[in-house]
Amino acid sequence: MRKRLLVLSAALLATASLAACSNDNGNDGGSASPGSSQPASQGASSSGSSDEVVTLSFWRHDYAPEAAAFKKLIASFEESHPNIKIDFQMIPNDQYETKIRTALAGGNPPDIMALDAPTLASYANQKAIIPLDDYFAKDGNKDDLLKPVVEGLTFDGKMYAAPNNEGTIVMFYNKKMFEEKGIPLPSKNVDEAWTWDQVLDAAKKLNDPAKGVYGWNPTPWGFVGHEGAPYSEMAFLWQAGAEILSPDGKTAKGYLDSAESKKALTFWQNLFNGDKVSPKELPQDAFWNGKVAIHVDGPFAFQYQEQNFPNFKLGEDYDVAPLWKDARMIGTTGSWGMAITSHSEHPDEAWQFVNWVTGVEGSKVWYEETKNLPARQSTFDAFQELKEYPMNIYAEQLAKYGHPRPVTPAYPAISEAIRLLFEDVGLGNADIDDSLAKAVKKIEDGIATLNP
Amino acid sequence: MRGYRSAIYEKQESRAAFLFILPAFALLAVFIFYPMLHAFVISFQNYNLIAAEHSWSGLANYRKLFSDETFGASLWHSFYFTLVVLPVQTAISLGLALLVQKKFRGVGFFRTVYFVPVAVSFAVASTIFRLIYNKDYGMLNAVLKGIGLPALDFLSNPDISMLGIIVLCIWRAMGFVMVIFLAGLNNIPDSLYEAAHVDGANAVQRFFLVTLPLLKRTMAFVVIITTMDALKIFIPIYITTSGGPAGSTSTVVHFIYETAFKQMNMGYAAAAAFLFFFLVLIISIVQLRVFRTDVEY
Repeated sequence: MRKRLLVLSAALLATASLAACSNDNGNDGGSASPGSSQPASQGASSSGSSDEVVTLSFWRHDYAPEAAAFKKLIASFEESHPNIKIDFQMIPNDQYETKIRTALAGGNPPDIMALDAPTLASYANQKAIIPLDDYFAKDGNKDDLLKPVVEGLTFDGKMYAAPNNEGTIVMFYNKKMFEEKGIPLPSKNVDEAWTWDQVLDAAKKLNDPAKGVYGWNPTPWGFVGHEGAPYSEMAFLWQAGAEILSPDGKTAKGYLDSAESKKALTFWQNLFNGDKVSPKELPQDAFWNGKVAIHVDGPFAFQYQEQNFPNFKLGEDYDVAPLWKDARMIGTTGSWGMAITSHSEHPDEAWQFVNWVTGVEGSKVWYEETKNLPARQSTFDAFQELKEYPMNIYAEQLAKYGHPRPVTPAYPAISEAIRLLFEDVGLGNADIDDSLAKAVKKIEDGIATLNP
Repeated sequence: MRGYRSAIYEKQESRAAFLFILPAFALLAVFIFYPMLHAFVISFQNYNLIAAEHSWSGLANYRKLFSDETFGASLWHSFYFTLVVLPVQTAISLGLALLVQKKFRGVGFFRTVYFVPVAVSFAVASTIFRLIYNKDYGMLNAVLKGIGLPALDFLSNPDISMLGIIVLCIWRAMGFVMVIFLAGLNNIPDSLYEAAHVDGANAVQRFFLVTLPLLKRTMAFVVIITTMDALKIFIPIYITTSGGPAGSTSTVVHFIYETAFKQMNMGYAAAAAFLFFFLVLIISIVQLRVFRTDVEY
């Protein structure tokens, strides 16, 4: 009997300890080695009102090159604001979202938190973060921010975060492989992007299963379990002319399951299951190792290549071109920003820090350190290299064809629905109508839970 | 007088017993029973993980679970995993235990080798298996290709992905179960085998008529522990496949994790956790009944 009780209580213990563990967030980071730059000298508002020293906590996911940039900006900030101390904590990348959410749930979040643009609406909708419009009106230089950036950080007419940088993805191609097969190189003009069919045509010629070479890898990290996958997959839907949600954001029915979506998914299915030019399992560093001929990546890829594959050179071995297009030319945008939690007792001081890092001068330091795509026009104007190849492709594509992910508190459901949709069709070779119905239902459920 | 004294003594004894139980009970109460109770309450609410206020939803969360295909699929994945792991892992472990129970030179080496995977962190093992399983460049497929067999795409083929997880889990757990069986085997007196031998029982008969019946208690422990561990499998799935490809390895715990922390729908996740908890409880009770044993030795 005693033994049975023991086993039973073991069963209780075992099932009670479900849940918990860690989360992945991923998405783009940036990449850079700490370069040299002047500390920001910003004419922001003068330091706080009292002599008391205020300590602000600030959490961000851990990413070495960006952490270095933050440390530099924090040092210069504390120097010019002696009454404010920043307690900077880096959380391991795959635990960041879980940690921030449990801290919010437990009522002890940091004063300032980093967030990926599409998660903003969930936090704002639950009033976990505060609107920054008054601050932006005072000294935030909002007019200087690029339009898609502002759009991606605005929920319910209010802006809830200040962007560290912007992000988008473009096409990378292995120049030597193109030349070997006598394929004409794609244009570097963002208005003359290759169509899906042009890319597929090239990919079929480049595909070489015997050598383990895939023609076309259409998503930067392959079929991963985090935001990195839907980031690039959504572009296919939009390019075909489809939308994910209705303009009022209330439903996906009639939008995500449109004929245009079906066209995009049919094309996607063929890449992996018909023509088989795309890898179902993306090997590590496939493009840099010559295992993928056409690839897609963010601006941080250049620094990654320099550090890890110094002999694989831009202009010789590979080049970049604007992202592909179909009925429309569109590149997904959105990256990380900083928000102030409603829990913070010192929102004014928190804004001073946020504005120091993301303001006109801070953005320049950030760009120099991380080489991420700037979110401010003034930063674009300040660096000649942003007007030159290859960064100009990112910059021009962003300005002309950038498209933020939907800003809605239902985004977590959307992100997962899109990710699973493309997995079902790409990896599972599933029926497109069934998969779309499943995705629409998931999003509808997500929207319904918000308004019980 | 005597009776009075013994009453006092008994009172003191039971008070002492209570004091001994108290620390463990207090810990259980604070860290297990209270959170469970709280989670049970949450399962009847519309509870967004980060929202400040929550409204009551009655049985809506539970009702929704019964029509949720994703939850249904995750339940099936968990049970499929368990139905395969339970017999296969138990058989392999018992086989290993029988092998290494024999006394011969170097037996310690084999016992250690079989036990080593248990000492490897599950996260590390999962990460390494992910590399081994890679379709184009993984070691497994390099070997298969070398001997002229078709490649196994455990990470991208929804039809076989769960088998990849199963292999990983059995590889890691079999050493532990083997040690438990070994202890059980060593508890069986030699005299019984000798008696069976004298009666003319051959090796197979001795195994089925002596070893197995006398291992019933050990077997009960192994079966119940394996079942519970298998049903709540999470770490290797989280690390190797994230529930993919195409949701084919999303188990119940993975579903609960995704719902609670990614979708931030804590109420729904709590309801799923409780439904699952009762399922596991029922299974454990049934297993205990089945394995009830009167055999003493």
